[in-house]
Amino acid sequence: MNNRRALFVQAIRGPLLLITLGILFAIHQAGGLAIYRSWPLLIIVVGVMKLIERTSAPSSGVYPPPPAPGGPIR
Amino acid sequence: MRRSSFTGPVVLIAIGVVLLIHSLSPEFRIGDLLSNYWPYVLIGWGVLEFLEVCFRFFTNRPLPPNGVSGLGWFGVVVICLVGFSAFQIRQASPWVRWAGFERGIRAFGEEREFSVSPIQQAVGKSPRLIIENFRGDAKIAGTEGEEMTVGGHKVISAFDQGELARANDETPVTVAVQGNTVVLRCNQGKARSRVHLSTNLDISVPKGASVEVTGTTGDFDISGLSGSVDISSENSGIRLQDINGAVKIDTRRSDLIRCNGVKGTVDLRGHGTDIELTKIAGQVTISGSYTGSLALRDLAKAVRVENSRTEFNVQGVPGEIRIDRGSVNMQNVLGPTRLTTRVNDVSLSNFTDGLELSVDKGDVELNPGRLPLGRMIVHARSGNIELAIPQTAAFAMNAITDRGEVSNDFGDVLKTSSEGRGARLSGTVGIGPEVRLATERGTITIRKASGSATTTVGADVGSGGKYRPVESRR
Repeated sequence: MNNRRALFVQAIRGPLLLITLGILFAIHQAGGLAIYRSWPLLIIVVGVMKLIERTSAPSSGVYPPPPAPGGPIR
Repeated sequence: MRRSSFTGPVVLIAIGVVLLIHSLSPEFRIGDLLSNYWPYVLIGWGVLEFLEVCFRFFTNRPLPPNGVSGLGWFGVVVICLVGFSAFQIRQASPWVRWAGFERGIRAFGEEREFSVSPIQQAVGKSPRLIIENFRGDAKIAGTEGEEMTVGGHKVISAFDQGELARANDETPVTVAVQGNTVVLRCNQGKARSRVHLSTNLDISVPKGASVEVTGTTGDFDISGLSGSVDISSENSGIRLQDINGAVKIDTRRSDLIRCNGVKGTVDLRGHGTDIELTKIAGQVTISGSYTGSLALRDLAKAVRVENSRTEFNVQGVPGEIRIDRGSVNMQNVLGPTRLTTRVNDVSLSNFTDGLELSVDKGDVELNPGRLPLGRMIVHARSGNIELAIPQTAAFAMNAITDRGEVSNDFGDVLKTSSEGRGARLSGTVGIGPEVRLATERGTITIRKASGSATTTVGADVGSGGKYRPVESRR
Protein backbone atom coordinates (compact mmCIF):
# COMPACT_ATOMS: atom_id res chain seq x y z
CA MET A 1 0.00 0.00 0.00
CA ASN A 2 2.87 2.29 0.88
CA ASN A 3 4.33 1.60 -2.52
CA ARG A 4 1.11 2.74 -4.11
CA ARG A 5 1.37 6.06 -2.28
CA ALA A 6 4.86 6.55 -3.64
CA LEU A 7 3.54 5.87 -7.12
CA PHE A 8 0.80 8.41 -6.57
CA VAL A 9 3.27 11.11 -5.51
CA GLN A 10 5.38 10.32 -8.52
CA ALA A 11 2.42 10.47 -10.88
CA ILE A 12 1.26 13.75 -9.46
CA ARG A 13 4.60 15.45 -10.01
CA GLY A 14 4.06 16.17 -13.69
CA PRO A 15 0.64 17.78 -13.35
CA LEU A 16 1.74 19.93 -10.41
CA LEU A 17 4.79 21.12 -12.32
CA LEU A 18 2.54 21.93 -15.27
CA ILE A 19 0.19 23.94 -13.08
CA THR A 20 3.11 25.84 -11.54
CA LEU A 21 4.49 26.61 -14.98
CA GLY A 22 1.10 27.86 -16.12
CA ILE A 23 0.73 30.06 -13.05
CA LEU A 24 4.21 31.57 -13.51
CA PHE A 25 3.44 32.44 -17.13
CA ALA A 26 0.05 33.82 -16.16
CA ILE A 27 1.73 36.06 -13.55
CA HIS A 28 4.23 37.16 -16.18
CA GLN A 29 1.50 38.15 -18.60
CA ALA A 30 -0.59 39.90 -15.98
CA GLY A 31 2.36 42.21 -15.48
CA GLY A 32 3.64 40.74 -12.27
CA LEU A 33 6.90 38.91 -11.70
CA ALA A 34 8.56 38.17 -15.03
CA ILE A 35 9.12 34.54 -15.97
CA TYR A 36 12.87 34.99 -16.37
CA ARG A 37 12.98 36.00 -12.73
CA SER A 38 10.52 33.51 -11.32
CA TRP A 39 11.73 30.34 -13.07
CA PRO A 40 13.78 29.06 -10.08
CA LEU A 41 10.45 28.37 -8.40
CA LEU A 42 10.04 25.48 -10.84
CA ILE A 43 13.24 23.92 -9.53
CA ILE A 44 12.03 24.42 -5.99
CA VAL A 45 8.75 22.68 -6.82
CA VAL A 46 10.61 19.76 -8.37
CA GLY A 47 12.83 19.55 -5.30
CA VAL A 48 9.88 19.60 -2.92
CA MET A 49 8.12 16.91 -4.92
CA LYS A 50 11.23 14.75 -4.80
CA LEU A 51 11.44 15.21 -1.05
CA ILE A 52 7.83 14.19 -0.58
CA GLU A 53 8.45 11.23 -2.85
CA ARG A 54 11.33 10.10 -0.65
CA THR A 55 9.43 10.42 2.59
CA SER A 56 6.49 8.46 1.25
CA ALA A 57 8.60 5.77 -0.39
CA PRO A 58 8.88 2.37 1.26
CA SER A 59 11.83 2.40 3.59
CA SER A 60 13.52 -0.61 2.05
CA GLY A 61 14.75 -0.93 -1.46
CA VAL A 62 14.96 2.74 -2.26
CA TYR A 63 18.22 3.63 -0.60
CA PRO A 64 21.16 1.34 -1.24
CA PRO A 65 22.45 -0.21 1.95
CA PRO A 66 25.33 1.73 3.50
CA PRO A 67 28.74 0.41 2.52
CA ALA A 68 29.99 -2.20 4.86
CA PRO A 69 32.73 -1.00 7.16
CA GLY A 70 36.13 -2.23 6.32
CA GLY A 71 35.61 -2.21 2.57
CA PRO A 72 38.36 -1.67 0.07
CA ILE A 73 40.02 1.69 0.39
CA ARG A 74 40.77 3.44 -2.85
CA MET B 1 1.46 3.29 -23.60
CA ARG B 2 -2.23 3.72 -24.09
CA ARG B 3 -4.27 4.38 -21.03
CA SER B 4 -7.89 5.27 -20.95
CA SER B 5 -8.04 8.75 -19.54
CA PHE B 6 -10.53 11.51 -19.47
CA THR B 7 -8.00 14.25 -20.14
CA GLY B 8 -7.88 13.53 -23.88
CA PRO B 9 -11.64 13.72 -24.45
CA VAL B 10 -11.98 16.85 -22.30
CA VAL B 11 -9.23 18.61 -24.28
CA LEU B 12 -10.97 17.57 -27.49
CA ILE B 13 -14.28 18.95 -26.27
CA ALA B 14 -12.61 22.23 -25.22
CA ILE B 15 -10.98 22.68 -28.63
CA GLY B 16 -14.32 21.92 -30.29
CA VAL B 17 -16.15 24.50 -28.18
CA VAL B 18 -13.57 27.22 -28.88
CA LEU B 19 -13.67 26.55 -32.64
CA LEU B 20 -17.46 26.47 -32.61
CA ILE B 21 -17.66 29.86 -30.90
CA HIS B 22 -15.15 31.15 -33.41
CA SER B 23 -17.20 29.98 -36.38
CA LEU B 24 -20.49 31.22 -34.93
CA SER B 25 -19.28 34.70 -34.04
CA PRO B 26 -16.47 35.99 -36.21
CA GLU B 27 -15.71 38.94 -33.92
CA PHE B 28 -14.54 36.44 -31.34
CA ARG B 29 -10.80 36.77 -31.83
CA ILE B 30 -9.13 33.50 -31.12
CA GLY B 31 -5.57 34.71 -31.67
CA ASP B 32 -5.91 37.54 -29.16
CA LEU B 33 -7.57 35.24 -26.69
CA LEU B 34 -4.94 32.54 -26.95
CA SER B 35 -1.99 34.93 -26.89
CA ASN B 36 -3.33 36.38 -23.65
CA TYR B 37 -4.70 33.33 -21.93
CA TRP B 38 -2.52 30.42 -23.02
CA PRO B 39 -0.96 29.99 -19.54
CA TYR B 40 -4.42 29.06 -18.33
CA VAL B 41 -4.44 26.26 -20.89
CA LEU B 42 -1.35 24.87 -19.15
CA ILE B 43 -2.98 25.28 -15.77
CA GLY B 44 -6.19 23.65 -16.98
CA TRP B 45 -4.28 20.77 -18.47
CA GLY B 46 -2.30 20.29 -15.27
CA VAL B 47 -5.47 20.37 -13.18
CA LEU B 48 -7.11 17.77 -15.42
CA GLU B 49 -4.13 15.44 -15.19
CA PHE B 50 -4.00 16.02 -11.47
CA LEU B 51 -7.66 15.16 -11.04
CA GLU B 52 -7.18 12.08 -13.15
CA VAL B 53 -4.31 10.82 -11.02
CA CYS B 54 -6.32 11.50 -7.87
CA PHE B 55 -9.33 9.76 -9.33
CA ARG B 56 -7.28 6.71 -10.21
CA PHE B 57 -5.64 6.67 -6.81
CA PHE B 58 -8.87 6.77 -4.87
CA THR B 59 -10.69 4.26 -7.06
CA ASN B 60 -7.78 1.84 -6.83
CA ARG B 61 -7.06 1.82 -10.53
CA PRO B 62 -3.53 1.38 -11.87
CA LEU B 63 -1.52 4.61 -11.71
CA PRO B 64 0.49 5.87 -14.65
CA PRO B 65 4.22 6.07 -13.97
CA ASN B 66 4.19 9.75 -14.90
CA GLY B 67 1.33 12.19 -14.71
CA VAL B 68 2.45 13.88 -17.91
CA SER B 69 4.09 11.74 -20.55
CA GLY B 70 7.16 12.60 -22.60
CA LEU B 71 4.99 13.53 -25.55
CA GLY B 72 2.92 15.65 -23.21
CA TRP B 73 5.97 17.62 -22.10
CA PHE B 74 6.89 18.14 -25.72
CA GLY B 75 3.43 19.62 -26.24
CA VAL B 76 3.92 21.85 -23.20
CA VAL B 77 7.19 23.18 -24.58
CA VAL B 78 5.55 23.89 -27.95
CA ILE B 79 2.65 25.71 -26.28
CA CYS B 80 5.05 27.76 -24.16
CA LEU B 81 7.20 28.76 -27.13
CA VAL B 82 4.29 29.62 -29.42
CA GLY B 83 2.19 31.32 -26.76
CA PHE B 84 5.06 33.25 -25.29
CA SER B 85 6.31 34.55 -28.61
CA ALA B 86 2.77 35.42 -29.72
CA PHE B 87 2.28 37.37 -26.52
CA GLN B 88 5.66 39.12 -26.76
CA ILE B 89 5.14 40.07 -30.40
CA ARG B 90 1.78 41.58 -29.55
CA GLN B 91 3.47 43.41 -26.75
CA ALA B 92 6.02 44.66 -29.25
CA SER B 93 8.79 43.95 -26.85
CA PRO B 94 12.28 44.94 -27.90
CA TRP B 95 13.70 41.44 -27.91
CA VAL B 96 12.21 40.96 -31.37
CA ARG B 97 14.58 43.66 -32.55
CA TRP B 98 17.58 41.89 -31.11
CA ALA B 99 17.07 39.07 -33.50
CA GLY B 100 17.73 41.40 -36.45
CA PHE B 101 20.47 40.31 -38.78
CA GLU B 102 22.05 43.76 -38.72
CA ARG B 103 23.64 42.87 -35.45
CA GLY B 104 25.64 40.32 -37.35
CA ILE B 105 27.06 42.97 -39.65
CA ARG B 106 27.58 45.34 -36.77
CA ALA B 107 29.48 42.74 -34.87
CA PHE B 108 31.64 41.45 -37.69
CA GLY B 109 31.80 44.24 -40.25
CA GLU B 110 33.06 47.79 -40.32
CA GLU B 111 31.20 50.90 -39.40
CA ARG B 112 31.87 54.42 -40.51
CA GLU B 113 30.25 57.80 -40.40
CA PHE B 114 29.77 59.93 -43.49
CA SER B 115 28.44 63.43 -43.41
CA VAL B 116 25.46 64.33 -45.52
CA SER B 117 26.28 67.08 -48.01
CA PRO B 118 24.30 70.08 -46.80
CA ILE B 119 21.26 71.17 -48.77
CA GLN B 120 19.76 74.62 -48.78
CA GLN B 121 16.57 75.19 -50.69
CA ALA B 122 13.89 77.85 -50.92
CA VAL B 123 10.55 76.20 -50.21
CA GLY B 124 8.08 79.00 -49.48
CA LYS B 125 6.40 79.99 -46.24
CA SER B 126 4.30 76.92 -45.51
CA PRO B 127 5.54 73.91 -47.43
CA ARG B 128 4.37 70.38 -46.99
CA LEU B 129 7.43 68.31 -46.17
CA ILE B 130 7.22 64.64 -46.98
CA ILE B 131 9.85 62.21 -45.71
CA GLU B 132 9.68 58.74 -47.10
CA ASN B 133 11.07 55.41 -46.06
CA PHE B 134 14.16 55.97 -44.14
CA ARG B 135 16.01 54.55 -41.24
CA GLY B 136 17.66 56.90 -38.83
CA ASP B 137 16.89 59.76 -36.54
CA ALA B 138 15.52 63.08 -37.69
CA LYS B 139 15.41 66.38 -35.94
CA ILE B 140 13.08 68.89 -37.53
CA ALA B 141 12.85 72.43 -36.26
CA GLY B 142 10.78 75.36 -37.48
CA THR B 143 12.62 78.58 -38.24
CA GLU B 144 11.84 82.02 -39.61
CA GLY B 145 12.17 82.60 -43.34
CA GLU B 146 11.35 80.56 -46.41
CA GLU B 147 14.36 78.34 -46.61
CA MET B 148 14.85 74.75 -45.72
CA THR B 149 18.23 73.33 -44.74
CA VAL B 150 19.23 69.72 -44.39
CA GLY B 151 22.39 68.41 -42.80
CA GLY B 152 23.44 65.44 -40.78
CA HIS B 153 25.41 62.25 -41.09
CA LYS B 154 25.05 58.67 -42.17
CA VAL B 155 26.24 55.69 -40.22
CA ILE B 156 27.02 52.81 -42.53
CA SER B 157 28.10 49.32 -41.59
CA ALA B 158 29.32 46.85 -44.18
CA PHE B 159 31.78 44.02 -44.46
CA ASP B 160 34.59 45.99 -46.09
CA GLN B 161 35.76 49.53 -46.90
CA GLY B 162 34.84 49.36 -50.59
CA GLU B 163 31.32 48.45 -49.77
CA LEU B 164 31.17 51.31 -47.29
CA ALA B 165 32.20 53.92 -49.84
CA ARG B 166 29.90 52.53 -52.50
CA ALA B 167 26.98 52.49 -50.09
CA ASN B 168 27.64 56.12 -49.28
CA ASP B 169 27.64 57.10 -52.97
CA GLU B 170 24.51 55.14 -53.68
CA THR B 171 22.45 56.81 -51.00
CA PRO B 172 22.52 60.59 -51.36
CA VAL B 173 20.02 62.66 -49.47
CA THR B 174 17.89 64.55 -51.99
CA VAL B 175 15.21 67.18 -51.81
CA ALA B 176 12.63 67.55 -54.59
CA VAL B 177 10.37 70.58 -54.63
CA GLN B 178 7.15 70.48 -56.55
CA GLY B 179 4.91 73.47 -55.93
CA ASN B 180 4.15 73.45 -52.24
CA THR B 181 5.29 69.89 -51.72
CA VAL B 182 8.82 69.09 -50.67
CA VAL B 183 9.90 65.47 -50.78
CA LEU B 184 13.00 64.46 -48.86
CA ARG B 185 14.53 61.14 -49.77
CA CYS B 186 17.45 59.30 -48.28
CA ASN B 187 17.52 56.70 -51.06
CA GLN B 188 18.47 54.02 -48.60
CA GLY B 189 16.68 51.42 -50.68
CA LYS B 190 19.36 51.80 -53.35
CA ALA B 191 22.04 50.40 -51.13
CA ARG B 192 22.66 46.68 -51.15
CA SER B 193 20.93 44.57 -48.64
CA ARG B 194 24.17 43.50 -46.97
CA VAL B 195 24.76 47.03 -45.83
CA HIS B 196 23.28 48.50 -42.74
CA LEU B 197 22.72 52.17 -42.98
CA SER B 198 21.08 54.81 -40.93
CA THR B 199 20.79 58.44 -41.85
CA ASN B 200 20.57 60.98 -39.09
CA LEU B 201 19.16 64.24 -40.33
CA ASP B 202 19.12 67.71 -38.94
CA ILE B 203 16.43 69.62 -40.80
CA SER B 204 15.22 73.15 -40.41
CA VAL B 205 12.09 74.26 -42.22
CA PRO B 206 10.03 77.44 -42.33
CA LYS B 207 7.82 77.29 -39.28
CA GLY B 208 4.64 77.32 -41.33
CA ALA B 209 5.53 73.85 -42.60
CA SER B 210 3.62 70.66 -42.06
CA VAL B 211 5.41 67.33 -41.91
CA GLU B 212 4.39 63.94 -43.21
CA VAL B 213 6.53 60.91 -42.51
CA THR B 214 5.91 57.39 -43.73
CA GLY B 215 7.49 54.01 -43.19
CA THR B 216 10.50 54.86 -41.12
CA THR B 217 12.53 53.42 -38.33
CA GLY B 218 14.19 55.88 -36.04
CA ASP B 219 13.53 58.68 -33.64
CA PHE B 220 11.89 61.98 -34.43
CA ASP B 221 12.28 65.23 -32.67
CA ILE B 222 10.03 67.86 -34.18
CA SER B 223 9.55 71.33 -32.76
CA GLY B 224 8.12 74.74 -33.49
CA LEU B 225 5.84 74.14 -36.46
CA SER B 226 2.49 75.75 -37.13
CA GLY B 227 1.41 73.07 -39.57
CA SER B 228 0.32 69.52 -38.88
CA VAL B 229 2.48 66.49 -38.17
CA ASP B 230 1.58 63.09 -39.52
CA ILE B 231 3.93 60.22 -38.72
CA SER B 232 3.43 56.66 -39.75
CA SER B 233 6.35 54.58 -38.63
CA GLU B 234 7.63 51.08 -38.12
CA ASN B 235 9.56 51.85 -35.00
CA SER B 236 10.07 55.28 -33.58
CA GLY B 237 10.57 57.27 -30.50
CA ILE B 238 8.78 60.53 -31.12
CA ARG B 239 9.12 63.90 -29.40
CA LEU B 240 7.00 66.81 -30.48
CA GLN B 241 7.23 70.28 -29.05
CA ASP B 242 5.07 73.32 -29.85
CA ILE B 243 3.07 72.15 -32.83
CA ASN B 244 0.11 74.30 -33.85
CA GLY B 245 -1.55 71.92 -36.25
CA ALA B 246 -3.05 68.48 -35.80
CA VAL B 247 -0.81 65.59 -34.79
CA LYS B 248 -1.36 62.08 -36.03
CA ILE B 249 1.01 59.29 -35.09
CA ASP B 250 0.74 55.69 -36.12
CA THR B 251 3.53 53.43 -34.92
CA ARG B 252 4.02 49.71 -35.13
CA ARG B 253 6.56 49.94 -32.36
CA SER B 254 7.68 52.81 -30.25
CA ASP B 255 9.51 53.30 -27.00
CA LEU B 256 8.20 56.76 -26.27
CA ILE B 257 5.77 59.24 -27.75
CA ARG B 258 5.98 62.61 -26.10
CA CYS B 259 3.97 65.64 -27.16
CA ASN B 260 4.31 68.92 -25.39
CA GLY B 261 2.33 71.98 -26.44
CA VAL B 262 0.07 70.97 -29.33
CA LYS B 263 -2.71 73.34 -30.37
CA GLY B 264 -4.50 70.93 -32.68
CA THR B 265 -5.90 67.47 -32.10
CA VAL B 266 -3.64 64.58 -31.16
CA ASP B 267 -4.40 61.18 -32.55
CA LEU B 268 -2.20 58.21 -31.58
CA ARG B 269 -2.81 54.73 -32.82
CA GLY B 270 -0.89 51.54 -33.20
CA HIS B 271 1.49 49.86 -30.81
CA GLY B 272 4.06 51.29 -28.52
CA THR B 273 5.29 51.68 -25.00
CA ASP B 274 5.19 54.97 -23.11
CA ILE B 275 3.08 58.00 -23.91
CA GLU B 276 3.44 61.46 -22.44
CA LEU B 277 1.11 64.25 -23.46
CA THR B 278 1.33 67.68 -21.91
CA LYS B 279 -0.49 70.93 -22.74
CA ILE B 280 -2.68 69.77 -25.58
CA ALA B 281 -5.37 72.21 -26.68
CA GLY B 282 -7.21 69.89 -29.06
CA GLN B 283 -8.99 66.59 -28.62
CA VAL B 284 -6.85 63.58 -27.77
CA THR B 285 -7.51 60.09 -29.08
CA ILE B 286 -5.31 57.15 -28.22
CA SER B 287 -6.20 53.75 -29.55
CA GLY B 288 -4.18 50.61 -29.92
CA SER B 289 -1.86 48.80 -27.65
CA TYR B 290 0.59 50.80 -25.60
CA THR B 291 2.22 48.68 -22.98
CA GLY B 292 4.17 51.17 -20.96
CA SER B 293 3.04 54.05 -18.84
CA LEU B 294 0.69 56.77 -19.92
CA ALA B 295 0.96 60.28 -18.55
CA LEU B 296 -1.50 62.99 -19.53
CA ARG B 297 -1.28 66.50 -18.15
CA ASP B 298 -3.10 69.70 -18.88
CA LEU B 299 -5.38 68.64 -21.73
CA ALA B 300 -8.05 71.17 -22.59
CA LYS B 301 -10.48 69.06 -24.55
CA ALA B 302 -11.99 65.60 -24.48
CA VAL B 303 -9.71 62.59 -24.19
CA ARG B 304 -10.55 59.13 -25.43
CA VAL B 305 -8.22 56.24 -24.73
CA GLU B 306 -8.81 52.72 -25.98
CA ASN B 307 -5.82 50.77 -24.91
CA SER B 308 -5.61 47.01 -24.73
CA ARG B 309 -6.17 46.85 -20.98
CA THR B 310 -7.67 50.18 -20.12
CA GLU B 311 -10.27 52.34 -21.79
CA PHE B 312 -11.48 55.69 -20.70
CA ASN B 313 -13.18 58.92 -21.71
CA VAL B 314 -12.95 62.21 -19.93
CA GLN B 315 -13.96 65.65 -21.08
CA GLY B 316 -10.76 67.39 -20.10
CA VAL B 317 -7.73 67.01 -17.86
CA PRO B 318 -6.77 70.22 -16.07
CA GLY B 319 -4.86 67.98 -13.65
CA GLU B 320 -3.18 64.71 -14.40
CA ILE B 321 -3.85 61.17 -15.48
CA ARG B 322 -1.21 58.52 -14.93
CA ILE B 323 -1.49 54.91 -15.90
CA ASP B 324 1.37 52.65 -14.93
CA ARG B 325 1.67 48.93 -14.67
CA GLY B 326 -0.95 48.07 -12.10
CA SER B 327 -2.40 51.47 -11.34
CA VAL B 328 -4.64 54.11 -12.81
CA ASN B 329 -4.49 57.54 -11.20
CA MET B 330 -6.64 60.45 -12.18
CA GLN B 331 -6.50 63.76 -10.46
CA ASN B 332 -8.53 66.82 -11.31
CA VAL B 333 -10.34 65.67 -14.42
CA LEU B 334 -13.52 66.94 -16.02
CA GLY B 335 -16.27 64.39 -16.36
CA PRO B 336 -18.40 62.64 -17.10
CA THR B 337 -15.68 60.03 -16.79
CA ARG B 338 -16.04 56.54 -18.11
CA LEU B 339 -13.29 54.07 -17.23
CA THR B 340 -12.94 50.36 -17.86
CA THR B 341 -9.81 48.55 -16.83
CA ARG B 342 -8.68 45.01 -16.26
CA VAL B 343 -6.11 44.54 -13.56
CA ASN B 344 -5.39 47.85 -11.98
CA ASP B 345 -5.79 49.74 -8.76
CA VAL B 346 -7.79 52.82 -9.54
CA SER B 347 -7.53 56.09 -7.70
CA LEU B 348 -9.62 59.05 -8.80
CA SER B 349 -9.73 62.34 -7.05
CA ASN B 350 -11.22 65.69 -7.74
CA PHE B 351 -13.44 64.79 -10.67
CA THR B 352 -16.67 66.34 -11.86
CA ASP B 353 -19.94 65.32 -13.45
CA GLY B 354 -20.29 61.68 -12.79
CA LEU B 355 -18.37 58.52 -13.22
CA GLU B 356 -18.88 55.14 -14.73
CA LEU B 357 -16.14 52.77 -13.64
CA SER B 358 -15.62 49.10 -14.14
CA VAL B 359 -12.60 47.18 -12.83
CA ASP B 360 -11.86 43.51 -13.19
CA LYS B 361 -9.40 43.23 -10.42
CA GLY B 362 -8.07 46.00 -8.29
CA ASP B 363 -8.92 48.37 -5.49
CA VAL B 364 -10.86 51.52 -6.19
CA GLU B 365 -10.39 54.78 -4.34
CA LEU B 366 -12.69 57.65 -5.14
CA ASN B 367 -12.53 61.14 -3.81
CA PRO B 368 -14.81 63.30 -5.95
CA GLY B 369 -13.95 66.35 -3.89
CA ARG B 370 -16.29 68.68 -5.69
CA LEU B 371 -19.96 69.48 -5.21
CA PRO B 372 -22.52 68.74 -6.41
CA LEU B 373 -21.73 65.08 -6.76
CA GLY B 374 -22.27 63.48 -10.13
CA ARG B 375 -23.90 60.17 -10.75
CA MET B 376 -21.45 57.41 -9.90
CA ILE B 377 -21.70 53.84 -11.05
CA VAL B 378 -18.81 51.66 -9.96
CA HIS B 379 -18.42 47.96 -10.47
CA ALA B 380 -15.47 45.84 -9.41
CA ARG B 381 -15.24 42.12 -9.93
CA SER B 382 -12.69 41.75 -7.23
CA GLY B 383 -11.42 44.59 -5.13
CA ASN B 384 -12.19 47.02 -2.35
CA ILE B 385 -14.05 50.22 -3.01
CA GLU B 386 -13.41 53.28 -0.93
CA LEU B 387 -15.42 56.43 -1.49
CA ALA B 388 -14.87 59.73 0.28
CA ILE B 389 -17.91 61.97 0.11
CA PRO B 390 -17.85 65.66 1.04
CA GLN B 391 -19.86 66.17 4.23
CA THR B 392 -22.45 68.44 2.71
CA ALA B 393 -23.09 66.31 -0.35
CA ALA B 394 -26.50 64.98 -1.33
CA PHE B 395 -26.73 61.53 -2.86
CA ALA B 396 -28.71 58.32 -3.07
CA MET B 397 -26.43 55.48 -2.01
CA ASN B 398 -26.75 51.90 -3.07
CA ALA B 399 -23.66 49.82 -2.32
CA ILE B 400 -23.46 46.05 -2.52
CA THR B 401 -20.66 43.61 -1.90
CA ASP B 402 -21.29 39.96 -2.63
CA ARG B 403 -18.51 38.83 -0.36
CA GLY B 404 -17.17 41.28 2.14
CA GLU B 405 -18.10 44.02 4.52
CA VAL B 406 -19.42 47.51 4.34
CA SER B 407 -18.27 50.30 6.58
CA ASN B 408 -19.87 53.67 6.72
CA ASP B 409 -19.09 57.05 8.25
CA PHE B 410 -22.49 58.56 7.68
CA GLY B 411 -24.17 56.68 10.51
CA ASP B 412 -27.80 55.71 10.53
CA VAL B 413 -28.77 57.75 7.51
CA LEU B 414 -27.47 54.84 5.47
CA LYS B 415 -28.77 51.40 6.35
CA THR B 416 -26.45 48.45 6.48
CA SER B 417 -27.82 44.98 6.03
CA SER B 418 -25.95 41.76 5.55
CA GLU B 419 -26.86 39.46 2.74
CA GLY B 420 -25.37 35.99 2.68
CA ARG B 421 -21.64 36.44 2.79
CA GLY B 422 -21.90 40.01 1.62
CA ALA B 423 -23.50 43.23 2.70
CA ARG B 424 -25.56 46.09 1.39
CA LEU B 425 -25.64 49.75 2.25
CA SER B 426 -28.43 51.96 1.07
CA GLY B 427 -30.10 55.25 1.87
CA THR B 428 -30.35 58.82 0.74
CA VAL B 429 -28.87 62.05 1.98
CA GLY B 430 -30.76 65.04 0.65
CA ILE B 431 -31.85 64.95 -2.95
CA GLY B 432 -28.90 63.93 -4.99
CA PRO B 433 -27.67 61.73 -7.79
CA GLU B 434 -27.40 57.99 -7.71
CA VAL B 435 -24.23 56.49 -6.25
CA ARG B 436 -24.12 52.82 -7.05
CA LEU B 437 -21.16 50.78 -5.90
CA ALA B 438 -20.85 47.06 -6.43
CA THR B 439 -18.04 44.63 -5.85
CA GLU B 440 -18.24 40.90 -6.13
CA ARG B 441 -15.52 40.44 -3.60
CA GLY B 442 -14.14 43.12 -1.33
CA THR B 443 -15.02 45.67 1.28
CA ILE B 444 -16.82 48.91 0.62
CA THR B 445 -15.88 51.91 2.71
CA ILE B 446 -17.86 55.12 2.67
CA ARG B 447 -16.28 57.95 4.55
CA LYS B 448 -16.72 61.65 4.98
CA ALA B 449 -14.11 63.69 3.25
CA SER B 450 -12.96 66.54 5.44
CA GLY B 451 -14.30 69.67 3.74
CA SER B 452 -11.33 71.86 2.88
CA ALA B 453 -8.86 69.15 2.09
CA THR B 454 -10.94 67.45 -0.53
CA THR B 455 -10.56 69.91 -3.32
CA THR B 456 -6.83 70.02 -3.10
CA VAL B 457 -5.64 66.74 -1.67
CA GLY B 458 -5.46 64.51 -4.62
CA ALA B 459 -4.44 60.98 -5.21
CA ASP B 460 -2.17 61.12 -2.21
CA VAL B 461 -5.03 60.13 0.07
CA GLY B 462 -3.62 56.68 0.11
CA SER B 463 -2.13 54.20 -2.22
CA GLY B 464 -2.89 50.87 -0.77
CA GLY B 465 -3.16 51.65 2.93
CA LYS B 466 -6.53 50.92 4.41
CA TYR B 467 -8.43 53.83 5.80
CA ARG B 468 -9.40 53.75 9.42
CA PRO B 469 -11.92 56.36 10.50
CA VAL B 470 -10.37 58.75 13.01
CA GLU B 471 -13.08 60.33 15.09
CA SER B 472 -10.85 62.81 16.89
CA ARG B 473 -10.02 64.61 13.68
CA ARG B 474 -13.24 66.58 13.71
